[in-house]
Amino acid sequence: MNPYESQKAVIEKIIPETPRIKTFVLKPEKPFAFRCGQFVELMVPGVGEAPFAPSSACFAPERLELTIQNVGYMTSRLHKMGEGGTVGLRGPYGNGFPIEAFFGKEVLLLIGGVGFPPARALLYSLLQEKERFKRICMCYGANTPNDIVYKYQIERFQNDIELHLTVDKADANWKAAMGVVTLLLDKIHIDLPDTVAVVIGPPIMMKFGTLKLLNLGLKPKQIFLSMERKMYCGIGQCRHCMIDRYFICKDGPVFRYDLLNRLPDIWE
Amino acid sequence: MAAEQIYISAEHWALILGKWREQYTVLAPLAEKRDLFFQLIDSGNAGRIVYDRVRAAQPLKSFLLPPLEEVAGVPNPSIRSLLFLGAKACDLKALQILDHAFGGDFADPSYQARRERSVLVGTDCTDPLDTCCCTWVGGQPYPTEEYDLNVSGVRGGFVVEVGSKKGRALLAGFEGHLKTVVKEKKQAVVHQRKQTVQAVERKNRAYRLSDKQKQVLVGAWDAAVWQKHSETCVECGACNHACPTCHCYYLDDITRKAFVKLRGWDACQYTGYAVTAGGGTPRPRLVQRFRNRYFCKFDYLDENYGICGCTGCGRCIEACQGKIDQRTAFFDLDAGRRRKGTRKNEPL
Repeated sequence: MNPYESQKAVIEKIIPETPRIKTFVLKPEKPFAFRCGQFVELMVPGVGEAPFAPSSACFAPERLELTIQNVGYMTSRLHKMGEGGTVGLRGPYGNGFPIEAFFGKEVLLLIGGVGFPPARALLYSLLQEKERFKRICMCYGANTPNDIVYKYQIERFQNDIELHLTVDKADANWKAAMGVVTLLLDKIHIDLPDTVAVVIGPPIMMKFGTLKLLNLGLKPKQIFLSMERKMYCGIGQCRHCMIDRYFICKDGPVFRYDLLNRLPDIWE
Repeated sequence: MAAEQIYISAEHWALILGKWREQYTVLAPLAEKRDLFFQLIDSGNAGRIVYDRVRAAQPLKSFLLPPLEEVAGVPNPSIRSLLFLGAKACDLKALQILDHAFGGDFADPSYQARRERSVLVGTDCTDPLDTCCCTWVGGQPYPTEEYDLNVSGVRGGFVVEVGSKKGRALLAGFEGHLKTVVKEKKQAVVHQRKQTVQAVERKNRAYRLSDKQKQVLVGAWDAAVWQKHSETCVECGACNHACPTCHCYYLDDITRKAFVKLRGWDACQYTGYAVTAGGGTPRPRLVQRFRNRYFCKFDYLDENYGICGCTGCGRCIEACQGKIDQRTAFFDLDAGRRRKGTRKNEPL
């Protein structure tokens, strides 16, 4: 087996989420089984490859959904592709969320920006076995109301779980909170000993989100982070994603914070 | 346990080598100005092979892990059987790191094929360079592992050690040329090795540390030494590329052919090395990238694979445009560690 070889997948549908974010619904040649929290290497043929965590449910492997922001060379070319186009997929890679460790707990998701896609995959898995968790609560922050992804599902999630929203910059129609996502944590009750927190988002938000949770009294071992760096190979060879001695692509991307907090400069 | 030893006279050795050349592509060090380079051996240059001296300029990864290679979307490359004659201890030891990195769950098929099809004939060092530091990292200037055969030059011929089944098979058919090693020749090898060890130790006396490099790095994250020693770094990446264990690579679709993936050597000293799509990087400053190489070599690789990432070949010192010497950096760190007031990290 050649670990660098991608399998083909067809873009079946493209859902515009925000001006810069689209969800690509892919139909892989073969069903693509994964655990939520794992990532794939998506290739635009002849352009390049980049790592993304699927946003679809891991128990529906016939279709793979990837919600992707247009930020760089590869993603800009991807955003120009249309339905019916062919892309490449490798993976899945990494460890995924240890969902069994969340059984019987209050699960608190602290999510920022394009951290929602992998969080949605996690939500689908949690909702599959909703009765196993004491509570599912998600705090989600976006830059503006326009930057919120999955707007068409927000109502559904509001019915299924406890969902709190905030934006940095509101418009006239915005009725929920305003300010950075960590502010939402002041408004909710957290049952400290019985909570596990999952933090996914841009680096700066992950840093202050984690510090805020610690301030509120959570222990490092109660906090799970989905880390991200440049994962070229995804298979623990190329060493680009290393955070100290750990391969994010292989030992992560999900890390319990009591492992990371011993390392220097993890937020850089 | 001592490896099986055989004596082969110079005359017989030439015959054996001639036969090997029929079966294998033989690469061995030839002298070119001050340096040695692995080159293709034919009947014309076989007599100029340098069996002793020191490591060649190229590390073995140049052949086993080519600088640029199409790794996906192309038919499997046809891989020649290479016989490396004259691999030194530091280069052989380095293969253990590459074997770990490109083996395991996601084994690299072309590296594996090259490794399986190559034969490694080691030789002892006799004239270490000023940059040689195998003893400084706990090694020695003669192969003790990873070789199929090892060849030590003695008066009139070679003392050959068999290190593997592959090595034994190499000698099959030449039984008539293989002699038992007389005591004097055995002693000559031991003596020469001892001399070389002492020579390397002499060259490294000024850099002696109070503990292993990995220990010296404990608490050294914020040391001022990194700034001081990185001042002349021009970020050329020569230390990475010359290193026999550095194996970071990038994958690119630069061929622009759909599904064809090119792999190329990368270097952690480059500004763009860890830059992500948004433009962020965990190591924006030169000093951070500089420090990363030391931690990767002497700490992370050890944690990952249980082997130190430096084999003491000294190529990084020799190749450096800024005259940076890792031994001095460590010496300064070690000195700083013993002074009061060094800021320590939380113990791991």
